[in-house]
Amino acid sequence: MSKAVKEKRVKAVPIWMGVLVFLLAFGAGVASKFAIQPGWAKEYSLAWSDELGTRLIDLPYGDGEANKFDLYLPKDGGKGSYGLVVYLHAGGFTAGDKSGDVKMLSWLCKKGYVAAGINYTLFAELEGGATNGASVLTQSEEIRDAIPKVIEAAEKEGYHIDSMAISGGSAGHALAMIYAYRDAGQSPVPVKMTFGAVGPSCFHREDWDNYGFDRETEESYQGAAGIFSAMLGEMLSVEEIKDGSYLEKMKPISAAGWITTDAPPTVVAYGTYDRVQPFKASLRLKAALEENGVDYRYFELPHSGHGLQNDHALYRQWMETVEEYLDKYMPVK
Amino acid sequence: MTLTQKRLLILLVIAVVAFVLGRLAVRAFMNLLLGGTLFGGDFL
Repeated sequence: MSKAVKEKRVKAVPIWMGVLVFLLAFGAGVASKFAIQPGWAKEYSLAWSDELGTRLIDLPYGDGEANKFDLYLPKDGGKGSYGLVVYLHAGGFTAGDKSGDVKMLSWLCKKGYVAAGINYTLFAELEGGATNGASVLTQSEEIRDAIPKVIEAAEKEGYHIDSMAISGGSAGHALAMIYAYRDAGQSPVPVKMTFGAVGPSCFHREDWDNYGFDRETEESYQGAAGIFSAMLGEMLSVEEIKDGSYLEKMKPISAAGWITTDAPPTVVAYGTYDRVQPFKASLRLKAALEENGVDYRYFELPHSGHGLQNDHALYRQWMETVEEYLDKYMPVK
Repeated sequence: MTLTQKRLLILLVIAVVAFVLGRLAVRAFMNLLLGGTLFGGDFL
């Protein structure tokens, strides 16, 4: 390359300017990914405001430190009866808080439902390898015991509850499904529907390939025994994993195993590439809903993982369907 | 095309490419944590 051409290029765009523009635009690209929400998403994600109604925080439902719920009461409190929508928080059964779902709960409240976010005792490891005794099983029992208290609290505020829906995200979705399919018979009011996303619904180890539990190795068996034991709150042996007898023990927390023809209508969404919970387990959930003739909608987001983050159009369809099912099975009076 | 026009055009191309790469980088990072494909679905 001749000197003259080189000089001409340098004159066209100085390197420092090109680098600066690149860095600024790269940063803007990163920021835009977090900051810009699709317009439709704002409809389902509202900041809480007193104009929406009344919010009661940290009402107790049990003796545990985490046994608290928030109640969102819609503004127009003079109706004869209301539907209750419970939304359970995500966090892998070990983290999270009901305060993380304010926007979802506010949307439900704005629609005219009494909405509730319920905390549950999170699994924690103590010093020396012991745990605090919490498991998916104890968490599901806490939710089961909380529902009558939530309804009682709403009634006390003058909001008569005649039906409910239960929902959640990830771990919260798993707990919501357990309540809807296992415990709905004990609910003080009929459970009209359930919705949620990316909640693990069963524990066939061959489905859990995202953790390598599908492999026929000692390490895989031990891994499955370790995680499934922690989730169940009861020790499972490697032998039980190998011979498949662990599945019966896991049944109390396997939502899909409780689906019958009486199961409430269901709307769920899963990401094909989920690395946190097994996508394949959701196919068993879908099959169980299908076999039992449940009115359900199953959304597979084919480019997404646990955050359903890469398929906004399908995510929108899922939320619109949730709204459609709420309107159909629990219309606001 | 004047030198200023040329300069603006080149900077614009750099900015667009960098903006796209910035969004792709976030998508790649989120996919690493949660799972997902780098392309397809939403535009970036």
